[in-house]
Amino acid sequence: MPTLSSNEIYSRQILFRGIGEEGQQKLQNSRVAIVGCGATGSVIASLLARAGVGFLRIIDRDYVEPSNLQRQILFDEDDAAKFIPKAVAAAKRLSACNSNVKVESQVADLTPHNVESLLADCTLIMDGTDNFETRYLINDFAIAKNIPWIYTAAIGSIGVTMNILPGETACMACMFPDSPNGAMETCETFGILNAAVAGIGASASSEALKFLTGAKALMRRTLLTEDVWWTDRAELPAEAQRADCRCCVRREFTHLSGENRPHIALCGSNSVQIHEKTRTIDLAELEQRLLPHGTVRCNGFALRFWRGPYQLTIFPDGRAIIKGTTDVGVARSLYARFLGA
Amino acid sequence: MQIQVRLYATFRIGRFNEQTRDYPPGTRISKVLEDLEIDESLIGTAFIDFKYATLDRELHEGARLGIFPKVGGG
Ligand SMILES: [Zn+2]
Repeated sequence: MPTLSSNEIYSRQILFRGIGEEGQQKLQNSRVAIVGCGATGSVIASLLARAGVGFLRIIDRDYVEPSNLQRQILFDEDDAAKFIPKAVAAAKRLSACNSNVKVESQVADLTPHNVESLLADCTLIMDGTDNFETRYLINDFAIAKNIPWIYTAAIGSIGVTMNILPGETACMACMFPDSPNGAMETCETFGILNAAVAGIGASASSEALKFLTGAKALMRRTLLTEDVWWTDRAELPAEAQRADCRCCVRREFTHLSGENRPHIALCGSNSVQIHEKTRTIDLAELEQRLLPHGTVRCNGFALRFWRGPYQLTIFPDGRAIIKGTTDVGVARSLYARFLGA
Repeated sequence: MQIQVRLYATFRIGRFNEQTRDYPPGTRISKVLEDLEIDESLIGTAFIDFKYATLDRELHEGARLGIFPKVGGG
């Protein structure tokens, strides 16, 4: 396929006085990590790839499902039918949109163990995750290493975003101090409108472009929330650090050291993820071994195994997502039985 | 004493954006949350006069109380 010249692709963006030739070159030389490629991550990845950010690393632990398609704009029905990992499907789509951008896919859960290798070589981290465990880990790493990151979240008709510029703004732990029993509304209970995702993802992406083109001074230093249905828009000041902030003041990076981090986590409304130790799994060999015990399908990136009311999706790094239960004991016993303890 | 309550993001839904409320002197933020039936575990942060405040903080006459949830979906 012919590669279009970058002059043609970016001509209108270069005409925009905030970017220009120089800004465009800075974007081409930039490296950005996007952690989580669901709804907000899809929007952010899509806009940054089309804008010409030279290197994008897409990190996601999940696979595409039919209920994603309403708002996760990088994926299609075929991806869902074949349960393609989101990072893989995203990289393929983004590369097709703009071949001048190098897109690296990482089918992985961001953990204290791999955070250094996945984030340290990027100049900006974008949050596309759906959980605070990962956000606090990003925050600890970003503050410790002095790397800016942008928090983005959406629920119902509401989006929220905040730029975290180490040493210049509040951090995530200033704004939302970790609480041991921190609950939150989820898209499972509150629902989600795709326009809320697109709106807040676009706001976060333009903040990213400001940073990458050297216009850091123009970046928002507030916590922004927008409601696209019951119209509301508000900003709260986010310049000041919390006086006793665990992370950016006391510099206790508890999430980085992985203290109390569970290896088993509920994900979504009806699934459990198990990743107790990293091990390499030969999917082809496992497919043969599981065939007598249920229905098995492998797409080359992950293997799916149906057994009674349960569905196990197994990744080559030993991680498994068990659907059909929220009982950790049931999930662990299925894992032990079919993959070994 | 009168305080001005501003709810943000999901906390507004089914409640209000902004409301003036009457409380006896010495009332703490947690009492307001209880009256509004906001579960403390859902709180991201509270602000008094746009500065961070813990939930045990006492409110003052004319205080502007802001309540922001942890919003996590992605
Ligand atoms: Zn902080």
